[in-house]
Amino acid sequence: MSIQNLNTFDPFADAVGSANEDVQDGLVHIRIQQRNGRKTLTTVQGLSSNYDLKKIVRTCKKEFACNGTVIEHPEYGEVLQLQGDQRENICQFLTKTGLVKQDQLKVHGF
Amino acid sequence: MTEEDAIFDPSLVKKKKKKKTTFDIDAVLAEGDSQETSSPVTVQETDPDNNAADGIDLDNDLDLENFGKKKRKKKKTGFNLDDLDAALPTATDEVVQGESEFVLDDESGAIDDTFDLGMKKKKKKKTEITELLKDNKENEELENVEDNAITWAGSDRDYTYDELLHRVFDIISEKNPDMAAGRKPKFVMRPPQVLRVGTKKTSFANFTEICKTLHRQPKHLLDFLLAELGTSGSVDGNSQLIIKGRFQPKQIENVLRRYIKEYVTCHTCRSPETILQKDTRIFFLQCESCGSRCSVASIKSGFQAVTSKRAAMRAKTA
Repeated sequence: MSIQNLNTFDPFADAVGSANEDVQDGLVHIRIQQRNGRKTLTTVQGLSSNYDLKKIVRTCKKEFACNGTVIEHPEYGEVLQLQGDQRENICQFLTKTGLVKQDQLKVHGF
Repeated sequence: MTEEDAIFDPSLVKKKKKKKTTFDIDAVLAEGDSQETSSPVTVQETDPDNNAADGIDLDNDLDLENFGKKKRKKKKTGFNLDDLDAALPTATDEVVQGESEFVLDDESGAIDDTFDLGMKKKKKKKTEITELLKDNKENEELENVEDNAITWAGSDRDYTYDELLHRVFDIISEKNPDMAAGRKPKFVMRPPQVLRVGTKKTSFANFTEICKTLHRQPKHLLDFLLAELGTSGSVDGNSQLIIKGRFQPKQIENVLRRYIKEYVTCHTCRSPETILQKDTRIFFLQCESCGSRCSVASIKSGFQAVTSKRAAMRAKTA
């Protein structure tokens, strides 16, 4: 006889885990921010923490020929930050590599 | 080696430069394309009265419309030809067709400002119907008002599909003249007037006007715009919005379109007659025409990267 409360298996945790496997809150937000002059920044927020964001950023930097970092944010978790307007590039990259599905991407900005 | 280097370097630099420029152009083009496709190819309101008013507006709005115009005209001519085929081949008919053609061409500008992105298909159908309707109406008024009714009244012959169709639409338009398939008051929006203020700020001159036409709180639209553009800004004394950063009218229009799609048009019937209510921290979109009610996402600005000088920030806080 086992006491259900003492089981290690937690049904809710599993369900949440499977739903959030790819993405944290359902959507990956891709934003653009203007800097001084013609310069811009692209941020990617909401990628799952299961992935190694440092590796993603490393490949992105090579692919798009831009610089980029991973930023730790207390509220939004790890956020990718790339130099320049990489919205199209990052969308293609994320879908091509299968990190995120097309309908989970949300592109903000003009 | 030094010679080689000398030869190599410039070529490399050139290549890089070329790549960059082509890339930018591509990106811009892509943006333009997306805009083109998204700009609605809608044809509505075959009211000549309204067109006069719209025509005046047109002159101000030409910038936005340049893209789609050609396409639209082509499509329209296609329409009319179809209608010609469909309609009765009488001389009066052709005159009527000509008129409607003019009207439509005039409209092409005003139509741009309507914001329903998804409604294209429906509207096309509707316009076909309205054109048919118009033709029929005028035809009948001119010559054969009783013709349609009588063609099969006395005889035993089967009525044709066309005759029945005409009859049905005539009845519909008689019974409710203001509804008459696609004659609904369409949402015609003025394009945003976006001006540069100095080098670093942009002014959105008819901001409150647009809020009024959309029946939305200026604050809500302001929040959305600022969150989407990732900047800061405020409404100044002349009720215009000042946004930090450089923005083109087209970019603002894009964001506006997104706002309208998300927060103004009813998600079920796509009518713009909606009210935004706030119920326990969640916004609900209540449709006035179909009565549906659905929740909409709250506006979140999300992660904001640091773009100002860190030293300046430190100086501020310290």
